[in-house]
Amino acid sequence: MIEPNLDLLVPAYVREFEPYIPSKPDQELQKLYGCDHLYRLNNNENPLGPPPGAQEVIRRFPPPRGAVYPSGDSYYLRQEIAACHGIDPDQVLVGNGANEVIAFVIKAFCSQGDNIITADKTFAVYEWVAVFSGIEARVIPLKEERFDDEAMLEGIDAATKVIFLCNPNNPTGTYWSRDTLRAFLEEVGGKQIVVIDEAYYEFVEADDFPDGISLINDYPNLIVFRTFSKMYGIAGLRIGYLVGDLKVVDMIRRTCIVYSVNGIAQEAALACLRDETGHIRRTRELVREGKAFLCAEMAVMGLPVIVGEGNYLIVKLTGSDTLAYRKLMHEGIMIRPMTGFRYPNHIRVTMARMEAMEAFVAALKNILA
Amino acid sequence: MSQDHDRIVSLQLTAQMSFLQIATHCVETAAKAFGLGKEESLKLSLATEEIFSYLGSHVCRGGILDIRCINRLSYVRVEFRFSVSTLNMGALNIAASVDCENEDDMAEMGLAIASRTINRLNIVAERQNCICLAIENDKHYPPAPKTYVVPIDVTGALMVETPDTEGVKQYVTRVAQGSPDPIRPIFFNYPGQVADMVAAGNCQVVTAVDAKGELAGGVLFRFLTTRIVEMFGPHVFQQDREGEIAGLLLDACIARTVRSKAIGLVSLTGMPSSVQSQFELLGLMNHYRHDGKTIAGQAFYRLLHEDPGCLVFTDTSLKDYLQREYSRLFLAREIREVRDQGEMKAGASIFATEVHREGSVAILRPLWPGVDYDANVKKHLLFLEEEVINSIFFNLDLGVSWHASLMAVLLANHFRPVLIIPFAGQADLLIFQYDRTEP
Repeated sequence: MIEPNLDLLVPAYVREFEPYIPSKPDQELQKLYGCDHLYRLNNNENPLGPPPGAQEVIRRFPPPRGAVYPSGDSYYLRQEIAACHGIDPDQVLVGNGANEVIAFVIKAFCSQGDNIITADKTFAVYEWVAVFSGIEARVIPLKEERFDDEAMLEGIDAATKVIFLCNPNNPTGTYWSRDTLRAFLEEVGGKQIVVIDEAYYEFVEADDFPDGISLINDYPNLIVFRTFSKMYGIAGLRIGYLVGDLKVVDMIRRTCIVYSVNGIAQEAALACLRDETGHIRRTRELVREGKAFLCAEMAVMGLPVIVGEGNYLIVKLTGSDTLAYRKLMHEGIMIRPMTGFRYPNHIRVTMARMEAMEAFVAALKNILA
Repeated sequence: MSQDHDRIVSLQLTAQMSFLQIATHCVETAAKAFGLGKEESLKLSLATEEIFSYLGSHVCRGGILDIRCINRLSYVRVEFRFSVSTLNMGALNIAASVDCENEDDMAEMGLAIASRTINRLNIVAERQNCICLAIENDKHYPPAPKTYVVPIDVTGALMVETPDTEGVKQYVTRVAQGSPDPIRPIFFNYPGQVADMVAAGNCQVVTAVDAKGELAGGVLFRFLTTRIVEMFGPHVFQQDREGEIAGLLLDACIARTVRSKAIGLVSLTGMPSSVQSQFELLGLMNHYRHDGKTIAGQAFYRLLHEDPGCLVFTDTSLKDYLQREYSRLFLAREIREVRDQGEMKAGASIFATEVHREGSVAILRPLWPGVDYDANVKKHLLFLEEEVINSIFFNLDLGVSWHASLMAVLLANHFRPVLIIPFAGQADLLIFQYDRTEP
C-alpha cells in the first residue's frame, strides 16, 4: 500500500490548521462527567425552542418527503425574507447555517495574498474560514469591549477584501449604533466588502441599534447575515442567510453550494418568519429576567459581568475558566469558557429558564466555595 | 517550524560501509554551511560516523538510508530515516550494549558513543517499522554579559509587543542577569541563541513595554507537542507591578496560542505567584544537580478549551493513582484497566532516549513493545548512571494501551509517577521520575 504524501498534497495552511472539535453529544458528556442532567448554557440556544408554527412543521413533516430534494435555492423562503424586508428575493442567499454563508463570502471575494479584518474577541468562524482558506485574518483588539472602528480602518490595506463585524458582538453584547455604523461605512467608501453578522438581531432592544438590511441601498458593499438558530430556536436544523446588493449577491451565488439547506429547515424557517404568537416577545422577556437575576447574583458574589444585547452575558472569574467549565460540568451545568474567545478566566452564560439560572448560580457558588 | 528548502540538505544512500565517508562529509559540510563552528561540525560528523557504522552493521545493513541535515538556526539537526525488521529492533536502544565489557564490543556501542559527542539524540517511530533517529548540536553563542543590572523604572500604561531581534536579546539578557534560577533552561543564558530560535520559528517571545519603550517583562513560549504549548515565565522586571505585568504577558501568550493547534498551556519551570491562580498545579518534578542538591520544580497547566474527555489505559497498580489525580484535576476520563491475559508477546522492546547533557536530564519513552521490559529498563538505568545523568524521566502515553504494561515494571525499578500532562500524547502523558532516594 502506498500512502499519499500529505505534505505535498495538502496546502500548508490546511495542514497547519487545527480542526475544531465540537462537544460530544450530551449523553456522552453526562457519562464522562458523571452527571444525571445537563443544563445547556453554552451555545446561546433558545430554551423556548422554535415558535409554535415551526414546531408544527417539524412534527408534521411527511416522511416520504425525505426522499425528495428540497428547493435548491430555498425559493419560497427567499421570497418570504424579501417580503419582510422589502427587497428583491435575489438579494437573499440561504445557507446551511450562517457558518456556511461566511464561507460563501470568503470564497467569493478572497484569494491568496488577500486579507480579512475582524476583531480578536468575537465569533471565531470568520477568522477560521479565512485561515484554512489561506487568507490572512487580521484581528483587531476590541476597545472597551467594543469593535474598534478607528483601528479597523487603520488595519485596511490594498489587500483587504472583507471586514467582518458582529453586531451585537458575541460574546460581549456590545454594538455599534446606527451613527457609528454609517460613519464607518462612509470611511470605507465601498472599497471593501463590509459584513455585519446580525445573528442576535432579534434580541436587541436598544433604540439606536441599526437594521443592517435597511442600509444596503445606501451602501451596496454591505452584506448582512441573519440566522434562525438563535431567536427562532431551530439551531438543530442549520439554516441562516445573507442579504446584500443584487450585483454583490450575484457574485457570491457563484461560490454557493445549492441544495445544502434541507427541506424541513426551509419550511420551519418560513413558519418562524410568519409567527404571530409573540415568540420574540416571550423570548425577550425570558432573557431580560435572566439577565436581571444573574447580574444581581453575580454582584452579591463579587464577580464582574459584561452584559449588553443578546441572550448571554459574561462573568469574570478569579481563576481558570476552563477549570470552572469542568467543575460545572460535574454539577450538570454546561457553560462556554471564554479563553477560546481570548477572554481567559471569563465564562459566557446563555439566558435560560429560571430553573436553569438558579441551578447555575448554586453550582457556581459551590465550585467557588 | 519553517520548512524552507534552503535550510535542508538531504542525501539518500545505501547503508554500507563504503559510503561512510560520503555521509560524514555531507553532514560536516552541511553543518558548516549552516553556521556551526568547526568543532561542533566535527562532533556531528563523528556522531554520524558512529551512527552510520552502527546502522550499517546492526540495524539496516544494505538498506536505504535517508539523511537530512536541517538548519534550525540555533542548532543543526541530522535525521537518519530507515526501515527495520522486528529481528533487529532491540539494537535501536541507546543502552543496547551496556553489558559489553571488552574493547572488541565497542562497535556495539555506536548509539551510546554518538550520544556523548552531541547535545541531543532522539528516536521516533514514524510509521510501521520506519524509524527516524535524530541528533542535534547547538551553535556556540556568547553568554549574556554579567554586568550590573540597572533597576527598571517603568512608568504609565504598558503594552505588549512582539519584539524584534534586539528586543528579544534585551529580554533574554535581562532574564539571565536576574536572580539565579537552577531550573531555568540553559538557552536563557544566550541571547543570540534565543534570537535564532525565534527567527527559526521554534519559539515566540512577547514583551511588555511602557510608552518610552522601557522593558517591563517578557514571556517565551513554544510548542512542546503538537497540542501543548510550554511557557517560560512570564518574567517580570519591575516587581512592584508584578501582578499587572505578568497578567498582561500571560493574556498575550494565550491570545497568540488559543486559536492555534494548542489545547493546553503548560509551565514546567515555575511562574510568578500572581498568575498561579489561573493555572492548575499538576505536581512536582525534582531536579537533581551535580552538587548533590535537589530542587523541586512545580508544574502548572491550564486548558485553553473545553475538556473533550478521553479514554486512558492503566495497569492495576496505578488505577487508584489515576482516579485520584483525575478527580483532583476534574478531568473527565474513562479509565480502562489493561490486564495480561496470556496473549503472545515477542521481540525486544525499544525505548527512545532523549538525552540533554547540558541539563543532565534524560527522558525515556516506549517506542516498541516487547517481552523484555524489566531488563530493558534496568539496562537504561545502568547506562544513564554511567553517563552521569542526574534526572531521569519516563513518559508513558496513557492513550496507548500497551504502555500500561510498563507501569508495574517502572514502579518496581524505583520510578514514581509525578504528574500527568493532559493531552501531551495521544491521550494524557504520565510522567515518571526515577527516585534516587530509594536504595
